[in-house]
Amino acid sequence: MSDKAEATGTQEAVEVHHDEHEEHHAHSFWRTYVFSTDHKVIGMQYGFCGLAFLFFGYCLIATMRWSMAYDGQAIPFVGPLLEALLGNNVAPGGVMSAELYNVFGAMHGTIMVFMGIVPAAFAAFGNYVVPLQIGAVDMAFPRVNMASFWAFFFGCVIMSVSFFIPGGAAQAGWTSYSPLATVIPTDGQTYWLIGMVMLITSSLLGAVNFLATIINMRAPGMTWLRLPFFVWAQFITAFLLLLAFPPLEAAGILQLMDRVLETSFFLPTGLVVGGQDVDVSGGGSPLLWQHLFWFLAHPEVYVLILPGMGIVAEIIANNTRKPIWGYKFLVGSVVVLGFLAFIVWAHHMYMTGMGTVISAFFQTTTLLISIPSVIILTCLLISLWGGSIRFNTPMLFALAFLPMFGIGGLTGLPLGFNFSDVALHDSYYVIAHFHYVVAPGTIFAIFAGVYYWFPKMTGRKMSEFWGRVHFWSSLIFMNLIFMPMFAQGMAGMSRRMSDGGATYSLANPDNADVTVGALSDTIMGLNVSISAAAWAMLVAQVPFIINLFWSVKHGEKVESDNPWQATTLEWETPTPPPHGNFIKEIKVYRDPYEYSVPGARKDFSPQAQPAK
Amino acid sequence: MEIPYTVKPRPDTGLYNGKLGIWLFLASEVMLFGALFSSYVLLRVGAESGTWSMGLMNITVGAGNTMVLIASSMFVVLAWAELKQGNLAGYKKWKWATIACAVLFLVVKWSYEWPQKFKHYDVWLNDAAVVHDSFEKGYRKTALRPTDEAPKGVSVKEHVEGFYTTRYFKEQSDGSDGSKAQFKKAWDSGTLALSGHINGYEEAVINVQVGEWNADAGVTQDEAKEAITAAGGEADQALDGGTQVLKELDYDAAKRAEYALGQAGFKVTLSVARYEKVEAHPWFWRTPRVNEDIGGKPRVQSIILALDHSDDGEGHYEEIEIETRHISRLSAYEPKHSTFFGIYYTITGLHAAHVLGGIIVMLYNMLPIGLAVWHKDRERFTNRIETFGLFWHFVDLVWIFLFPILYIL
Repeated sequence: MSDKAEATGTQEAVEVHHDEHEEHHAHSFWRTYVFSTDHKVIGMQYGFCGLAFLFFGYCLIATMRWSMAYDGQAIPFVGPLLEALLGNNVAPGGVMSAELYNVFGAMHGTIMVFMGIVPAAFAAFGNYVVPLQIGAVDMAFPRVNMASFWAFFFGCVIMSVSFFIPGGAAQAGWTSYSPLATVIPTDGQTYWLIGMVMLITSSLLGAVNFLATIINMRAPGMTWLRLPFFVWAQFITAFLLLLAFPPLEAAGILQLMDRVLETSFFLPTGLVVGGQDVDVSGGGSPLLWQHLFWFLAHPEVYVLILPGMGIVAEIIANNTRKPIWGYKFLVGSVVVLGFLAFIVWAHHMYMTGMGTVISAFFQTTTLLISIPSVIILTCLLISLWGGSIRFNTPMLFALAFLPMFGIGGLTGLPLGFNFSDVALHDSYYVIAHFHYVVAPGTIFAIFAGVYYWFPKMTGRKMSEFWGRVHFWSSLIFMNLIFMPMFAQGMAGMSRRMSDGGATYSLANPDNADVTVGALSDTIMGLNVSISAAAWAMLVAQVPFIINLFWSVKHGEKVESDNPWQATTLEWETPTPPPHGNFIKEIKVYRDPYEYSVPGARKDFSPQAQPAK
Repeated sequence: MEIPYTVKPRPDTGLYNGKLGIWLFLASEVMLFGALFSSYVLLRVGAESGTWSMGLMNITVGAGNTMVLIASSMFVVLAWAELKQGNLAGYKKWKWATIACAVLFLVVKWSYEWPQKFKHYDVWLNDAAVVHDSFEKGYRKTALRPTDEAPKGVSVKEHVEGFYTTRYFKEQSDGSDGSKAQFKKAWDSGTLALSGHINGYEEAVINVQVGEWNADAGVTQDEAKEAITAAGGEADQALDGGTQVLKELDYDAAKRAEYALGQAGFKVTLSVARYEKVEAHPWFWRTPRVNEDIGGKPRVQSIILALDHSDDGEGHYEEIEIETRHISRLSAYEPKHSTFFGIYYTITGLHAAHVLGGIIVMLYNMLPIGLAVWHKDRERFTNRIETFGLFWHFVDLVWIFLFPILYIL
């Protein structure tokens, strides 16, 4: 059968099936919007949950910032609420206790990473956009896809419920280092572990599905080097999740055994807690937990950033109206980055006394991995050169991503060398570093993606004016929050202190004799300004939230299925795309970013447009 | 909407979706079990001498189970081959054989291998002299008893050394003296555990003294009366301020009375009336529970331990009595016993969960709901059995790695 004949045949078939489904689904609200197997609905479910948890996680830190700026004072508005909800031993008189600070701190990290960014950046955009961009009708395993979402949802429920159990949620930080995490007598950590096992299961199901979809469901003509960079980024991300998450699952199971069945995988011999010998066999290794944890948690950093880079690449190509510079470099870099991501994990552990040989090895690989990262950033930067740039909201966020991620990446180098890490380890410098990567990095990319693909999802654009308000205020406050933290960190302020370092400040009379190392009033004063910026940041998200919901019904209607005049396949579908996505047979003839092709009639040549 | 390549392989990748998916899934499974095996290596390398409880597994049973799993792996392929030839009856025959093997495997594990360990205890003492004395009492007869091959007549220490150096200290046998030196050190310092079955113990019978009633405890007189009557005491006497003793309650009753009367506002003191010998084979005892303080005395006064390797050849084991005040730790061969048993139960448990999952999937594919796919689309069903086979081989392979590292090495 010739290609042409096959194409016509299938096209009819697709249309017939399409109609059947429309009719069938019209009657079933639950199957269409809740227990859906449609990748687009699942993508939006992930997106909604992810954004909601990003907001919730941010509220946690905004509350903690009060404790750091004004330790021991009642929190206005929120304090009485906390006291009523969580009990007066947790928040007596509306004052945040150190235990509650620890709960919020541990859960802020957990929620932001595993319940916020991964679902929003990887699962939401991946689900919605990847099958469309490769010209597939759905994911390879739609029901596994649904199972993945509901495993995620169930994990989120367990995590959320744990706030309200006696003793509260997990308190040992998002890293949950043993023995601390094991010997804390409250049940929060057990909930955390069970919740994590659910979230990991969800990620594994999702990763298998993404990989199978990208490998086996590409439209005819969609060769590997015609994949949009976003798809490549998601492909590598899925591999990272597939192979790096199971060791954390193993670690989670072992820590669960330690907590529930009193084994001592992570408890050393002779452990004494509160002056009492612990009735365990000992012989375990606290270092083992750190190895297993960081074996996931470092690749996790790339899980957080790669989808963001993918989104940014799409938007930059579209709004500079020219091909991405060095597409093959980008692809090569992201593949190399994926490999190297697995052999850098112990640079989080320089302070554990692993030995100089191991430190030297991980220092080397860590510095090596900066090469592909820099290549990606450089390619994206050079792509701007000579473009006639359209400064719309998605593009503003994508442009801001470049320097912000750049700051985050470059400030990581001193942490990659073990000699300088010794000074900076566990300080606010580290917090500033990784938040520059994920907050104005990935989260800006998520915003960019929302503004960019919103017209495809709803048929309407979000308000451009309020988008700009959102962008500029977020950009300013983001830097006001995190830039001073570098200074605090270099002055020696440790992380995870509920009083914001007051114990170690010069203002504390106990430190009157301390001549070196106490925190100056300037450094302590930054706590207040950072907190103020953090609350302003929360307010700055209001325009976005309103814009998002308001525009679903009232936004400016898009004229065509391809409002941004983009080249990739997701814009070939009707708006919004129906179940089954494409109403015409999709065949790919071109590279992903054929913008401003010399001699072409228009300044963009879609991938599905046959070459003349 | 029709998803492509659910049945026919995609020409350029050569895979249908299900097969691709299962291979990717297995890659993640490799990382999961790989992490556990790596943990095993790291924990074992870091273990102090004499703390790695090796050589205790029943290799014969383990090897038998290995054969059962390997056979099941063969049957699962035969079932698939029958489907390829369009023979559903043949498929059912081999599938039932596979299921039977899988069930047998779990039955051996969960009704024999694990429960047997849960009643077997190691007891560590805090006094080297008591350790030596206990060994002396437990093994004197066996050490002296002649065997068929030769007159024994060895010292107790030599007898004990004979079986300890083949297990706990095995890993130290780099030179011929390594394990012996390690054994000697543990023997002299008294850190050697006594192993055996607990056949009985002396448990406290408890007097509960009920003192003054606190009228401000927020409990009405009637409620307090009810509480004391329920506990078996004299209500009027109690409320008049007189003390009384609830005599000779067993532990559970005493604890219940202590709680209920304490809630009702009485001052309650427990004391040991006497100790009573109990014949029992307890599961999962905890050291703090055994040593629990009751009015300055332990809850369990002493335990009767039937020592391993002390039998007279006719099934009678030497029993010794150990006072609990000498016990620093006791544990059955349960997960908390040692890192070895911890990792043993974790890995074999996770593996068993995979076997159980496999059984469920296999049963599904034998039920009408699963077989309906065969009647609708034979190739799709055959593919399902093939992908299941890949999973099943993996489960088998995990065991092939697991058996030597946990049972033999």
